Amino acid sequence: MGDERSISRRRAIAGGVGVVALGGSVAYLATRSDSDAGVYVPERSHTSQETTGFGVELAGRPIAGDPDAPVDLYYWTDYLCPFCAQFDQETLPAVGRNHVDTGEVRLVALSYPNIGEYSMPAAVWSRCVWSQVAADDPAAFWRWHASVFEAQPESGTDWADEETFTRITEETEGVPLGAVDDCRTSRTEEIRESMDPNVAVAQSSRIRGTPGFVLYNRETDTAGKLVGAHPYENFADAIEQVLNA
Amino acid sequence: MTDGRSLGRPAWLGRLPAALAHPLTSDRRLVVAGGATALTYAALILSTFPEFSVQLLARNPGDLLYGVATLTRETYRSVGWIGLGLIVAYALLAGVAATHAVTLSRRARRRNASTLLGVLPGFLAAGCAGCGAGVLGALGFVGAMATLPFDGNLLRLVGLSLLVFFLGRTGDPRTCAIDRAESS
Repeated sequence: MGDERSISRRRAIAGGVGVVALGGSVAYLATRSDSDAGVYVPERSHTSQETTGFGVELAGRPIAGDPDAPVDLYYWTDYLCPFCAQFDQETLPAVGRNHVDTGEVRLVALSYPNIGEYSMPAAVWSRCVWSQVAADDPAAFWRWHASVFEAQPESGTDWADEETFTRITEETEGVPLGAVDDCRTSRTEEIRESMDPNVAVAQSSRIRGTPGFVLYNRETDTAGKLVGAHPYENFADAIEQVLNA
Repeated sequence: MTDGRSLGRPAWLGRLPAALAHPLTSDRRLVVAGGATALTYAALILSTFPEFSVQLLARNPGDLLYGVATLTRETYRSVGWIGLGLIVAYALLAGVAATHAVTLSRRARRRNASTLLGVLPGFLAAGCAGCGAGVLGALGFVGAMATLPFDGNLLRLVGLSLLVFFLGRTGDPRTCAIDRAESS
């Protein structure tokens, strides 16, 4: 009974070790470095003016892959979202090389600003960069896109501002900063309004966070959804399911 | 034992050390506290992005550790050390609260059900802290917490404080607390 009522040194040490182990594990998981799979630059990119069978407007949006690919992968993202950075750096390269570059999937990058104050301006930057490079050097957009996610710090959203995005744009080969700035000055409102329909498509698909994905079989009009930075295997399985649907 | 009120402190604060030390009073309570802490941490972290967690675990329950690891990093990168620290602190207190619940429910079975009612407010407070840590995400945007004061850390702190208060109010659950000021 004495054992039941007393606080023994052994249990106090065990409790202390447990608390330290929990704190240490959480700190390790929180700060472990990304398993960076490299920057993904699609072999082919293109533009389109169509609205897909799923209701996504493609005009002005970056599209990677074969225009006739049987499956569309709609990728809603926010440049301030750490989870999107994880997907971009760890999973997108494998999805791109194994499914987009092979002609199986067409990847459409869509904005879903929802994290911080600079989410919307960042989305406008993205559309303006694409508008300037889509015709002649679309790969420059994907380099810019990857550089923005690489610029995310360990924590917080304070990093995202005019200065940072100007620097990234200036440093990305093939992206004309002056023309991008002109686009931002003259087209910001128009671009903001044009985002609404595709965000509404995401919301009607019950996507409430970023990154959000819809896989859409363009021939059979069937779709599947993934939300969050799933491991590559889940994307591969989902693509196969939608492809065979 | 000195009554907290006689030192000018609230009685619940005086009883808090005994409440927090309760898991150390038996091996089984220590194991229960450890298990409850781990489960609570996993539940709170997974609830920061419920849509992702449900999809991940529905596809492969073996991805539980991937989900916890990924969302731990996501939570740190979104709300920093303070937000993550509050979730860890809440999980630890929930572990303590679990041992209280077991002890009090045994007492309630031996005596009367009213003792069990004393546990309920603590669990309601626990639920409140759970909301602060992530359940809001299930109700709307995953970024919903970012719109709250201090990225939701204030709400987390309120939930945590309520849990501390109810643990202190219970004190050592093996004994009946007597408030000296009220009894005199």
